[in-house]
Amino acid sequence: MAKPFQFFTEQGIVYYSTFKADNLKSLLTGLRGVPSSSIFYHLYHSLLRRHFTTTDYMNDFAQWVWGVLWHKTLGEKLASFDPLEFTRIRDARARLIEIVDNYVGESEYFLRVPEEQAFYFLCVKSFIYPVGIKASNLHELIQALRIVSPQSLFYHLIESRLRLRKASNDLSIWLEEDMEQPELASKINAISPYEYNLEEIRNRIITLLHNAVK
Amino acid sequence: MPSSKKKNNHHRLEDYAPIVTSGVIKEIEELAHLFGPVKMVHVNSTKEGGGVAEILGWFIPILEDLGMEVKWDTITGDTEFFTVTKKFHNALHGMHEDFTEEMFRTYLDNVQSNAPVIPEDADFVVIHDPQPAAMILKYPERKNKWAWRCHIDLSVADLRVWSFLRPFVECYDAAVFHMPQYTKNLMSPQFLLPPAIDPLAPKNEELTDEEMSKIMVKLGVPRDKRIIVQVARFDRLKGPFGAIKAFQMVRRWHDARLILAGGSATDDPEGQAVLAEVMEMVEGDEDIHILDLPPDSHREINALQRVADVVIQNSTREGFGLTVTEAMWKGKPVVGTDIGGIRHQIMHGVSGFLTHSVEGLAYRIRQLFGNPGMARRFGTQAREYVRNNLLVPHHIRRWLLLFHSLRQSNGDVITL
Repeated sequence: MAKPFQFFTEQGIVYYSTFKADNLKSLLTGLRGVPSSSIFYHLYHSLLRRHFTTTDYMNDFAQWVWGVLWHKTLGEKLASFDPLEFTRIRDARARLIEIVDNYVGESEYFLRVPEEQAFYFLCVKSFIYPVGIKASNLHELIQALRIVSPQSLFYHLIESRLRLRKASNDLSIWLEEDMEQPELASKINAISPYEYNLEEIRNRIITLLHNAVK
Repeated sequence: MPSSKKKNNHHRLEDYAPIVTSGVIKEIEELAHLFGPVKMVHVNSTKEGGGVAEILGWFIPILEDLGMEVKWDTITGDTEFFTVTKKFHNALHGMHEDFTEEMFRTYLDNVQSNAPVIPEDADFVVIHDPQPAAMILKYPERKNKWAWRCHIDLSVADLRVWSFLRPFVECYDAAVFHMPQYTKNLMSPQFLLPPAIDPLAPKNEELTDEEMSKIMVKLGVPRDKRIIVQVARFDRLKGPFGAIKAFQMVRRWHDARLILAGGSATDDPEGQAVLAEVMEMVEGDEDIHILDLPPDSHREINALQRVADVVIQNSTREGFGLTVTEAMWKGKPVVGTDIGGIRHQIMHGVSGFLTHSVEGLAYRIRQLFGNPGMARRFGTQAREYVRNNLLVPHHIRRWLLLFHSLRQSNGDVITL
């Protein structure tokens, strides 16, 4: 008998890293030096914070560079950066640094913003725990997906790539390995959190599961 | 959505499930359950009046429902002590105040004599704001975890007062602020915990159209034109004069009414003076309504925010701006100044507009009047933002996470 899928959640409390940036150069310094949880917070966790909407730029770096520093080109480059291509924070950080460093290298002047508009590098302390919901088949999975929180969806669909260091989420992995549903697993894994908000993703997955059990 | 499940006149966490989903509530309950038995003490300066007492009033019963033993104490003191702490409060907000060495001694002497006793077996001690901050010095052998909760904006704090308070704050295991802009350079960790609103409270609960109409009749405001509302006490920092100027610009193009609703505490002479100036400025204008409401006018404020077509917040300084949160929760497009907590809440062009001038305020109001679809879309996004971030359950969850963080300070990923 296949092992059930156990739902966990990830709840985070935010703290200040004590580093802030007021221009592109100090942003670059911050990107190089802040703890990994700060990169995670601004790049990945931002998807959870804005999970109910699809706004222009989903990651905090792109928002600040575009909206406060008014570097439109760099803002677009950072916005198109897809953190889900990476399975390690260190690789995502290296790519971010590369993008900003290239842009800084081409520039002569760096606009400095007042302190109240500075970019505050924040970190997140994450607590992971089971929520007491399990699914042993697709019907139970549909029921569970209807009620689990956005934080739980975030944990399984986005954070799991970093935790497992795989280019897939753990729900898809369970569907493929334990439920022998590789096609369904692949379709769920192909839903981009950058194109849909978490509630839309929840509904899309439920629709895919409904179609599979028909 | 009024709730029927009240305990001792307080709402329980489960009452919020229809608003934030049962999944979210279950996860918060589990987070509390993972603690086992916990004892904590909260200390502030008053149990009556003021935002901190209001928050603790709903916060503590919910923690007790979750199985925690919570004690709420206050620091006492004479008039001299509270005169000094009021000066601290003003100076920490950036206002000019004169200080003498005697004042700092008065503060320390009073804290030494009148601070409440903290039980040794308390797991967590939360001290709110500067008034009782120095009481941590009385417990050099403490085994419990102490957090200092700062409810005020320290971004332009007077250095004389902050330098005096800072050594006490650094004794705590953590300091807790509303927003990153309010943090300071401290040796101890600084957590961020924004405030929240209660969607089941009279100020925010659903009202029927009939209830709203009755309240508007009582307030003497006809609903015959589009309505712009600002809710704020009568204070120069809330920008009432700019709001009126912006309205006068809007009125050249749109038939509308402006409502400035707020209170002016009788012990605040400046508030009375500002109110008088505002009244003089709008004298004879039947489309501008200045409502000086008593402090318990929660349903009136609720109705005003709900009948508004656009809510504005033209403040030049704002701690967090919970009136913005309240309006956003009611699905209103908000046009607010690009400062502090307002900037933190409104996503410009997504859930409202941020402005930098009276002209900008007028322009954005006109834009929303001319685009009802955009106004509706902003309102929907605004409500979802608040539903996901700034309601009572989120506040409870963040505090529970903070307590877990104080217990397990190592590492940024912790499996419970």
